Amino acid sequence: MIKTTALTKSYGNTTVVSGVSLHCEPGTITGFLGPNGAGKSTTLRMIVGLARPDHGTATIDGHPFIELPNPTRVVGTLLDASAMHAGRTGRATLTIAARMAGVSNARVEELLDRVDLVDAADRRVGEYSLGMRQRLGIAQTLVGDPQVLILDEPANGLDPEGIAWMRGLLRDFADRGGTVLLSSHLLHEVQATVDHLVVISKGVVVASGRLADLLASSSLQLRTPDPSGLASALRAAGIEYQPGPDQTFTVDVQGGRVTSEMVARAALDQQVLLTELRQSESAGLEQLFFSLTARTTQSQEVAA
Amino acid sequence: MNSTTITDPRATSDTYTVGAGTKGGPLAGIPLIRLVRVEWSKATDTRAARWLLVAVALSTGGLMLAPLLSPSSIEQSYTSYLGFAAIALSLLLPVVAILTLTSEWSQRTALTTFTQEPRRTRVIGAKIAVSLLLGVGAAAFGVVVTVAALALAAASGRSLDSGFAPGLLVAFLLYVVLNVMTGVALGALVHNSAAAIVTSFVLPLSFGLLGRASSWVASWLDYSTAFTWLLHGEWSAHGSQILTSVAVWVVLPLTAGLVRTARREIG
Repeated sequence: MIKTTALTKSYGNTTVVSGVSLHCEPGTITGFLGPNGAGKSTTLRMIVGLARPDHGTATIDGHPFIELPNPTRVVGTLLDASAMHAGRTGRATLTIAARMAGVSNARVEELLDRVDLVDAADRRVGEYSLGMRQRLGIAQTLVGDPQVLILDEPANGLDPEGIAWMRGLLRDFADRGGTVLLSSHLLHEVQATVDHLVVISKGVVVASGRLADLLASSSLQLRTPDPSGLASALRAAGIEYQPGPDQTFTVDVQGGRVTSEMVARAALDQQVLLTELRQSESAGLEQLFFSLTARTTQSQEVAA
Repeated sequence: MNSTTITDPRATSDTYTVGAGTKGGPLAGIPLIRLVRVEWSKATDTRAARWLLVAVALSTGGLMLAPLLSPSSIEQSYTSYLGFAAIALSLLLPVVAILTLTSEWSQRTALTTFTQEPRRTRVIGAKIAVSLLLGVGAAAFGVVVTVAALALAAASGRSLDSGFAPGLLVAFLLYVVLNVMTGVALGALVHNSAAAIVTSFVLPLSFGLLGRASSWVASWLDYSTAFTWLLHGEWSAHGSQILTSVAVWVVLPLTAGLVRTARREIG
């Protein structure tokens, strides 16, 4: 379990992370989503003790990371797959991790096989593609058989096949009771992987919750050949509505207090024919993401 | 090379089973000896590191040619030959030590290493131990080369000054170790391989030059002079100056480097 309370960090006058509280439960994959420069990496680095927060705390299973006696047996960390010694072979890199964790070399061979790097194991990491380094990095996080994984942009450099592979691996890890926290600046990467989402923008958490809740549609879409009849039916039932073009109506679900059944009954009571009654097309995570982070993204585009 | 042949017997005899994680109970910390072994691998398992060690060996053998080939101008004695070994080792061994300390920063592996062992000072301690082991090993190699060169000189029929003082061996070992430690201290403080190596060559040069202008600098701050006094066994005459150089060029930067490493942000 990963828990942070109000993590805050400034560099000079710039507040990079402000009051970030995360709570990642065993058996779940939490996506930490935000544009580049939103404070994701800084937050992750504070969780694993590489950066010191100005305020707030971060714990793994109730303990600060830096107090874990042998951290890789509890937490697998991959913060930057390109931060590997270019002159060392893949197998040597993994062997070092295994010896630090105090696990056998058989684990190294097993993991090389699992991440499909057996053939490349004796090549130097400098010759690896980013995707291969990412896979080696994943193997490195798993070496101590931890219960928690913390991954910064793990899908970077992976092809769609690699992303699917990673998705399966993380799902399996979580299904066996593991806790996963992964960051990404790309929505579609995490949309199919995570079950919880924390969206961060400019160092502040702007949305968090179960993915399904964040994606849930907030309105119903109606259509009728008799708009005035439907309008009076809805009024009679006390349901607020917005008339739209082409004989359509939009009804806000008011956080679940208005259901499609209530709308259907209101129409039935007044003998109004409905030709369409459905949840509005979900705006999707995409729109949520862009609406929440629009200003940052725009300014980045201008800068780029 | 095949690093899987480096085996920690305790690790392989572990009853650890895959999937068990830490649920078996509380975990012990990483023993210091394991950290030293891992750091030893890191310092020696790359092509660059091995070439550098080969270069140390070659330069020691190479410099030994000087007294061998110039018997008329160079004193043919144990002291003189060992002095050449000392000079050879003091050139490149500090670089080995610097790289051992700085490569984590230059290669950005610090990001991984300090999540494997967040008690950063222990990791630095292991790196210092490895540097000292390499230094002692190199000093032993230097003695072997010296003895071989002297045997060669004797075989060629030269008359050798056979005066041998065991104290000279101690002084030689201390000289090599202190040179290694200046590299260690610089590497611990500077965190950048290129900058630290350049500094390690520029510092003795500039203090040598400054020493010509000021005899005070020459006697108290020029560590190459101070360590040479040590090598020549002039301990009683220059003891406090040698200690001052050790304090200024080893203890001070190493302490500052440990504090910096423990406190700095890693990104």
